[in-house]
Amino acid sequence: MDEKIAPHLEELTRALGDLEKTGIRAEFDKLLAFRVSPEVAKETLLRRFGGKRKILKVKDLSASLKNFEITGRILDIGEKALRPQEGGKEGSSKLYTGVLADETGPVMFSSWKELPGSVGDVINIKNAYTRIWQNRIRLSIGEQSLVSKIYDSSLPQLSELSKTPAKKLIDIGAADFSVSTTACVLQLSHKEVPVRGKQSKVISGVLADETARLPFTAWVELPGIDIGSIIRIEGAQIRMFRGMPSINLVSSTKVSLVTTEEAEKLAFTFESAAKDPAPLKIEEIASRDSMFDVVTTGNVVSVRPGSGIISRCPECSRVIQKANCRVHGKVEGVRDMRIKAVLDDGTGSMSVMFPRELAETIYGKTLEEAEQLMFSDISKDAVYEDLRRFLTGRYLAVRGNSSNGEYGVSFVAESAWVPEDDIAVRVVELLRKLGPDEEDQGSEVSGGGISLA
Amino acid sequence: MLKREVAKRVFAKEFEACRELEKSERPASETADSKSPNFLISPLGLILNRVFVVGVLTELDSIGIQNEMWKARIVDPTGAFTVYAGQFQPDASIFFSTVQVPAFIALTGKARVYEPEPGSVFISIRAEEANVVGEDIRNRWVVETAEQTIDRLETFSDALASRYRGETLREYLLERGASEELAEGISIALERERAPQEFSKQLRVSIREWLRTLNLESEDTAEAKADQKEFVLELLREMAGGKGIDYAIFVDAAVSRGVPEETVEEVVRSLLAGGQCYEPKIGIIRLVG
Repeated sequence: MDEKIAPHLEELTRALGDLEKTGIRAEFDKLLAFRVSPEVAKETLLRRFGGKRKILKVKDLSASLKNFEITGRILDIGEKALRPQEGGKEGSSKLYTGVLADETGPVMFSSWKELPGSVGDVINIKNAYTRIWQNRIRLSIGEQSLVSKIYDSSLPQLSELSKTPAKKLIDIGAADFSVSTTACVLQLSHKEVPVRGKQSKVISGVLADETARLPFTAWVELPGIDIGSIIRIEGAQIRMFRGMPSINLVSSTKVSLVTTEEAEKLAFTFESAAKDPAPLKIEEIASRDSMFDVVTTGNVVSVRPGSGIISRCPECSRVIQKANCRVHGKVEGVRDMRIKAVLDDGTGSMSVMFPRELAETIYGKTLEEAEQLMFSDISKDAVYEDLRRFLTGRYLAVRGNSSNGEYGVSFVAESAWVPEDDIAVRVVELLRKLGPDEEDQGSEVSGGGISLA
Repeated sequence: MLKREVAKRVFAKEFEACRELEKSERPASETADSKSPNFLISPLGLILNRVFVVGVLTELDSIGIQNEMWKARIVDPTGAFTVYAGQFQPDASIFFSTVQVPAFIALTGKARVYEPEPGSVFISIRAEEANVVGEDIRNRWVVETAEQTIDRLETFSDALASRYRGETLREYLLERGASEELAEGISIALERERAPQEFSKQLRVSIREWLRTLNLESEDTAEAKADQKEFVLELLREMAGGKGIDYAIFVDAAVSRGVPEETVEEVVRSLLAGGQCYEPKIGIIRLVG
């Protein structure tokens, strides 16, 4: 028997390293116990643990990755007992959750099995995968994953890894959950919201630095801070809302005003940060997970189906078909208008959503006028067809928020306009770039000959 | 689900010189699975699949025998795009069945290669969506396409001058701030070597010529010239009508009315470059609209 499996084990060792330590040998034996032929068992294990396995750093993690290897130090770990499911396996299962970090950043993890380490230890996980949980990336360690403890790791020490990183606003994303930053308050408003049955005061607004803008919410009072203040924030929590990071100031967050001398050293002032954002290429927007309050221009290359007049459920505002809401059943729909269009500038493309007010502005027809068109035409797509004729090919500038998902960039426009006519300036610039003539220098003076061939 | 392909901005001259990009030529293997679309590569290293063009629709023929099939030509400052739309492009086909030639149109579509025999390659666009637009949009498109083309030309000359090739070139270009796709495209394009310098020179010349005409118009340098131009245009409108007129006859007629031959030539040339008139046949000129 051993003679038969030895070459396979040798091959596995070559491909995957130490079989005993990583537990692959045990997996192999398990398969043999099920009378899987050694050949097939080897292939199975190679497929599962080997092949094109990638070794990733925390910063490389994105949604729904599978079968990769990662090494990190445990910053925090806790266990949760899960109620056993009825008819499920006996006994309660436990879920271990916590934070793992390497030199590129921290990530939350959840594990379905006990880990061979605790806070401060470095572990190596093979065959890990990622999930999106509560709008953010979570490293998952499943039954199929192999976890081993590493004793002599060169990863930074616990104290260093658990520092909250100081970041510029543009670098804050779904991978962060605690950051420090210095920014300027652009907008600020107070409101009362019910939290667990109690009315709570919250402050919400917008922060900006020289790189970007982001929304913030404060669950604590911010004495002395108003629009125009430049503040230093330490240990703020990052929450994801509709793909957009938002900075949460909680009781453990330190917020302080930046002194005038310090403010002079910053790369921004309130005036510079409060200026209208400069237009970006769609390529730049597409290279980020999300962007808050940015401007871009492009051509409407396609008006998507679902644009025009739609019906919404009066209770939940979902778009409804044939007077039936997915949640509330048969309802009297409320008419609304919207435009979904693909905007493309040659460097990137994104799907832009124009809510009613903007749709009316760029279409030049109000909802009521569009309804007239719908009733006067036998085609139910009359408004959609009219929109296509009107918009396809046009240049539009939009300002709003973008988020990047499985289907590319989606952008919700807050305002939209026809870009200003700056052609003359650009032509002069282009001619300058093209430089003087190389060969047709004299032709302009003499008038040259026209060749129509 | 795949992300939507970006609609590239490219002039007809560069588009027509595109060739098929074999999937094996792209080292980034994740983009080359079986579902990924077919890409073309231009002599300047632009990798494209979808394009967005704005130009003058000068010809439109229904060429289908059993099925509907439209063939169209869209003219830009450097040449013409050949466009097809058939039964599987209903939006574009309906558009072509209603549009009047000539007209300024905007069109998105996918690049197609047809190679009936080795050495003869036809590059065309399979239309997706199209619409009639104003001249302002056409001008803006040309300026934007010129900007993107010139940026590409600059990166390309930089690449040529560096004398690097392959992977070294790619890394060099990335360092210089080129996009990943362009860095890859240029290093592939340079492997193919098709007198790239000559091509980029020609492209520069045609872009420059067109921009000049636009520039002259916007700055209105000589009042008198503008008047004469107006006169020539008026005359052309009168004589050419909807059918067009032989160029030589037109020049003679204009000269006999006291307009210098050079001015006639200049006006016609700028009208041609500006897309306001075109040649349905060699030697015949016809006004747009």
